[in-house]
Amino acid sequence: MRNPQPESPVLSLGERLPGGDAGAPLTRLFESLRPDLLRFAHWLARDRAIAEDIVQESLLRAWRSREALKDANAARPWLLTIVRREHARLYERKRLELVPLDEVVETHAGEASAQAEDDLFALRHAIMKLPLEYREPLVLQVLGGFSTEEIAQELALSSTAVLTRLFRARNKLRVICGLPSAPDAAAGQEQP
Amino acid sequence: MNCEQARLLIGAEPGNASAELAEHLQGCAACATFREETLTLDASIQRALQRPPQLASARRAPLRTWRQWALAASVLLACTATLGVWLLRPTDTLAHELVAHVEAEPDSWLSAQQVTTEGVNEALRSAGVQLDVTSDKITYAHSCWFRGHYVPHLVVQTSQGPATLLILHHETAPAGRRRGFSEAGMSGVIIPAQTGSIALLTRGGDVNLLAQEMQHDMHWLPDAR
Repeated sequence: MRNPQPESPVLSLGERLPGGDAGAPLTRLFESLRPDLLRFAHWLARDRAIAEDIVQESLLRAWRSREALKDANAARPWLLTIVRREHARLYERKRLELVPLDEVVETHAGEASAQAEDDLFALRHAIMKLPLEYREPLVLQVLGGFSTEEIAQELALSSTAVLTRLFRARNKLRVICGLPSAPDAAAGQEQP
Repeated sequence: MNCEQARLLIGAEPGNASAELAEHLQGCAACATFREETLTLDASIQRALQRPPQLASARRAPLRTWRQWALAASVLLACTATLGVWLLRPTDTLAHELVAHVEAEPDSWLSAQQVTTEGVNEALRSAGVQLDVTSDKITYAHSCWFRGHYVPHLVVQTSQGPATLLILHHETAPAGRRRGFSEAGMSGVIIPAQTGSIALLTRGGDVNLLAQEMQHDMHWLPDAR
């Protein structure tokens, strides 16, 4: 088998929007989910520019594998999974840890410094500072809407291990919010 | 269910509505309070996650000119030293990094679905490799970041089982000299190619037979870089 001449690469999904090709509805669906994907990638990568790269690469991969998407209603979790894997691939390859959080500050961007905003500010920072092993399942659960079993499958962990990580993630955030820390009964028992 | 189990479940899944947990909460005021607190916390977490923080580098005090030059010189020196170490590093690290890369993508071995010609071409093209792969048993094809370059990463089903093929067009190897290696349950060989080299890795297969098999399936195109 000799490979045929490759087609033009998909440079940007957005470029296909004005066209009337058969993939346009799917492209519009992908584009409509882009803000969700970007938010998700941002929480994983902790860097806006990297998150944008991850989402762009993920959408290209999704487009190439679009036959695998049988149900448009499943597009969101499907794309979130691709984003997570793309982040993991980038992280493994480049050993990314690009945002030393001790050396950065969050810009308030003109927000009123009300107590509630200050609390959210602290909470956002606390979530950003969570180790990836705790931040990832929390973001998958709260932002992605994945169940414990789905997270376990995606992260190749046992359900018990995922429960433990989610518990510990919230336990760390409890302290930030001035709540007493719960005893960690699972300390030393987590199994992959 | 005891209090420890209940709190683990509440902390992990604040909205959990299992009958067992509900029964425990009815008889345990402390855990019920813990759940209320966690639900409130979770609402805040949801709000916080809706908008990632805008991160910006903290401003540092301006450095004096001589300190800037000293800093630049030390950075240049460090870069030169790092480059020297990198250039002089033992080539065995290539084999080690190949194994590490394949280990980091365990799904690549498991895929059973044949990749389309378009998919293979995409992996080759995005890595800038012009190569004609004639095997019709490719079950994984991606362009992977490896040692500073994108390289095609293919998995081919062979008579020796699945084999990983990494086309290292930027890694030169001494002509006519193969280098075998064995690590972490994998055996492999790095073969000099027309452009750079090719790495083959297998779990349990005979790498020499694999190399012969693959040579029939791969042809560099005339204008290959």
